[in-house]
Amino acid sequence: MDFPRILSGNWDKPNSHTLAVARSCGTYSRVEMALKKAPSELIQIVKDSGLRGRGGAGFPTGMKWSFVPGPEKRGNKPVYLLCNADESEPGTFKDRYCMWKDPHLMIEGMIIAAHAIGCKVGYVYIRGEFRYIYDRLWEAVHEARAAGLLGENILGTGVDFQLHIHLGAGAYICGEETALISSLEGEKGQPKLKPPFPAVEGAWHCPTIVNNVETLAAVPWIIQNGAAAYKALGTEKSPGTKLFSCSGHIRKPGVYEIPLGYPMKDLLEIECGGLLPGRKLKAVIPGGSSVPVMTPEEVYKCTMDYESISTVAGSYLGSGGFIVMDDTTDLVDALTNLLRFYAHESCGQCTPCREGCGWMYHILCRVRDNCATAEDLVTLKDLADNIHSKTICFFGASAAMPVQSFLLKFKGEFLARIEAASKGIPAGSSVTSPEQRVGA
Amino acid sequence: MPKVKINDVEVDVPAGTNMIEAAALAGVEIPHYCYHPNLSIAGNCRMCLVDIVGGRAPEIACNMVAREGLAIRTDTPNVKKMRQSVMEFLLVNHPLDCPICDQSGECRLQDYYMEHGNYDSRGIEEKVSKHKRQDIGDKIVLDAERCVQCSRCVRFGDEVTETGDLRLMNRGDHTEIGMFPGERLEHHYQGNLADICPVGALTNKDFRFQRRVWYLRETASVCNGCATGCNIQVCHQEGEVFRYLPRRNDAVNKSWMCDHGRDLVPGIAGLNRILRSKVDGQAVDVEAALSSLAARLKAAKTVGVVLGNRATNEGNWALLQAVRKNLPNAKVYAVAGNDPGSVEFADKLLIDADKNPNSAGVRLLAGVDGRVGDAADLGSALGSIDLLLVLQDDVLGRLAGHGKPAAVAFLGVSKNATSEAANILIPVCHTVEMDGSYVNRTGRVQRLRRAVTAAGDALPAWLVLERLGAKLGAAPGTGMVATAFNAMAKVVPAMKGMEFKALGDAGLPLAVEPAAVAATEALA
Repeated sequence: MDFPRILSGNWDKPNSHTLAVARSCGTYSRVEMALKKAPSELIQIVKDSGLRGRGGAGFPTGMKWSFVPGPEKRGNKPVYLLCNADESEPGTFKDRYCMWKDPHLMIEGMIIAAHAIGCKVGYVYIRGEFRYIYDRLWEAVHEARAAGLLGENILGTGVDFQLHIHLGAGAYICGEETALISSLEGEKGQPKLKPPFPAVEGAWHCPTIVNNVETLAAVPWIIQNGAAAYKALGTEKSPGTKLFSCSGHIRKPGVYEIPLGYPMKDLLEIECGGLLPGRKLKAVIPGGSSVPVMTPEEVYKCTMDYESISTVAGSYLGSGGFIVMDDTTDLVDALTNLLRFYAHESCGQCTPCREGCGWMYHILCRVRDNCATAEDLVTLKDLADNIHSKTICFFGASAAMPVQSFLLKFKGEFLARIEAASKGIPAGSSVTSPEQRVGA
Repeated sequence: MPKVKINDVEVDVPAGTNMIEAAALAGVEIPHYCYHPNLSIAGNCRMCLVDIVGGRAPEIACNMVAREGLAIRTDTPNVKKMRQSVMEFLLVNHPLDCPICDQSGECRLQDYYMEHGNYDSRGIEEKVSKHKRQDIGDKIVLDAERCVQCSRCVRFGDEVTETGDLRLMNRGDHTEIGMFPGERLEHHYQGNLADICPVGALTNKDFRFQRRVWYLRETASVCNGCATGCNIQVCHQEGEVFRYLPRRNDAVNKSWMCDHGRDLVPGIAGLNRILRSKVDGQAVDVEAALSSLAARLKAAKTVGVVLGNRATNEGNWALLQAVRKNLPNAKVYAVAGNDPGSVEFADKLLIDADKNPNSAGVRLLAGVDGRVGDAADLGSALGSIDLLLVLQDDVLGRLAGHGKPAAVAFLGVSKNATSEAANILIPVCHTVEMDGSYVNRTGRVQRLRRAVTAAGDALPAWLVLERLGAKLGAAPGTGMVATAFNAMAKVVPAMKGMEFKALGDAGLPLAVEPAAVAATEALA
């Protein structure tokens, strides 16, 4: 269907990543407009727009910005703006398109955000695997710098903003904002304790705002068209448009920009082109691998916004990684595969997540390999409960929620597997060879 | 002073107190691995998770600063389950090799499991294996499998020694503590790593496999290795000392002590100890030696007396009293400096260049006396002295190259150049064998406690000197160290109002600024 494309509008144009094309599409025309406004006014506009962080947590962006202590409180400390481009949530691949197709839109958003929070130096922390995008981002930065859009005295307004691109080393946890900060500082990528929150004490102990690529890319449009125009899109509590990374057993996988509040069923059947011929829907993970899984009934009732997914399915919109699984999927295999990822990516800092993720993965391997009992599922559920919300960062919950939701909504499939194994019937599409432990 | 509530106990705590400490003040123990009062907050073990009354989710007590009205509960079923599950997680990859682990008996995994454990193991998965028995320093062995990744040792290296040597390597359940390839611990505080390690991952090479810790008794005392006077626990069994452990005193040594201090343990029962009294090479009992000494002191024309930088305040005070009242012509000296053979090393942290535990006490008493000569005075007078009475310091070693006195009497712990030259030799107690007090470099009066019985015929120096005083004509002492101290404190202005009993475990600062103590050095 035809929706306003705030974020992806320029993606189809040839050479959309170059400054010339970006400018012809209006990118950077909002910079001057924004730099003339007072920072507090910018924060108010973004607050009024209801823009929520697109990295997964959905925290109101304007409110986050307003947490930065004023100059009287922070003294001589600089403020940092970090763009979280460590997109590594399985099933999420929207930011890479934002940066690959339209890097200047994100940079424009960063200039505006930096002005709003009083920041003079910003960093884009980009995932290690995105080396090719890293090079493109630097090209964009150099172009913008040459055009006087970055650096000192931007467009003669007296505002300074330097932007650096920092390549990570490819760790999932570095997408967590405090781990991102640790990694940027040169430390091991491990989350930090909160409080203090980054807005008060972040990178190098200075006030720091971490925003997702997509969040920042939405800012110029809001400044140009006003908060009301943005609020007119989407729903009351989830305004605006959002990019959804659609993957799995669908005919047209890809990134789609739709207004929030759009029916999930329509996203699946219209944008994604529906399921493959002859297949039936089995499960959907709506917001990246970490969020609870949804049943077909829930899918057909839900709309794509923060509130609906939460109330209808007890799940989250997350980062918008829309993973569709049809009836050919073995959910035991699917969950084992997910936990393999989490066991490998746990940073190892705090106890429940460090030991628990590996333990849950081991149990799932035994279920998959037909050597588990029903009691193991009880242990598995209990372990997930013991990890969820007991950890320093959200990783623990991210690993626990798939386990909890798969066992809640599809327990029958797990029990059937165990039952079949006890009768000696090889089940499903299981790979029965002993699994090599990852990360050993 | 915010008022907080732990379970049903309300308590006022100093501003900035975290809730583990606040709970301790309320008499509630919150179990923890990673939290250490003298290190930064890591919050990674999750053992201190507590429920907040009116709060949404459990939070860790170590990172929770007391604020007015904050109420937590540690006795809910939820907290019990969280502790149980953290224990379960910590043990799922732990080797459970307690029978051969030297930490047994002082292991937090053991202690907390008894209190908070599951008792019904679900751990049937294969354990992750890690590097064992790694030689990472002169004092420390690392077993990564036993580690609970609390990162105390990492923070110790980052924050205390600032050497940044130990790191957490790898991720997930393969995380382990380690050093960079080819590197070893190089600092002088390695023993602390074994102390702060809550489990058996870091053990002390000198102590491991020497004794099971539950046999050991602990006596609070003070290290005699240098002028810092680190507070220690002397760990001993049946008269034998097995190790020193640092004892927390934030005014002196926080929770640390140096390896040089620990290295003094073997010397307590070492071959170098002086065990019997001797007069002119003939073994005699202490009483006979003292009688000879008294007679010779009275007979000698020029008597030199040297206060002991290694002796207690009571010892030096008894010596001054004995001499001043009965030998008006005797000249008293204090000889600053280290005995030959001392570890000549100092740093900004704890290790002082002055290797004597009580130099400040000597300076203090010398200042009060007002007539005490220094090393230069003694050096020039040495050749003309008929009888030199030395308390503990190796004065002849320090002043090698100067003249020789006609005769020497030495009251000492260990053999040295002065004892070799001594005509009269009387053994006195080692620091761990007696009660008494030292003054450390900052002017803190700290108490020694007798941990083990004295070697050989050794008696506390102050007692020996009280008896000598009596033989010289003074009134006999009471034979009680507290009386000796209190009598001294009445006369010494900087100790005004001090009583031996009140020194307690933490000691008391002198009633003068440390700078003033240093200024009296000129007098010494």
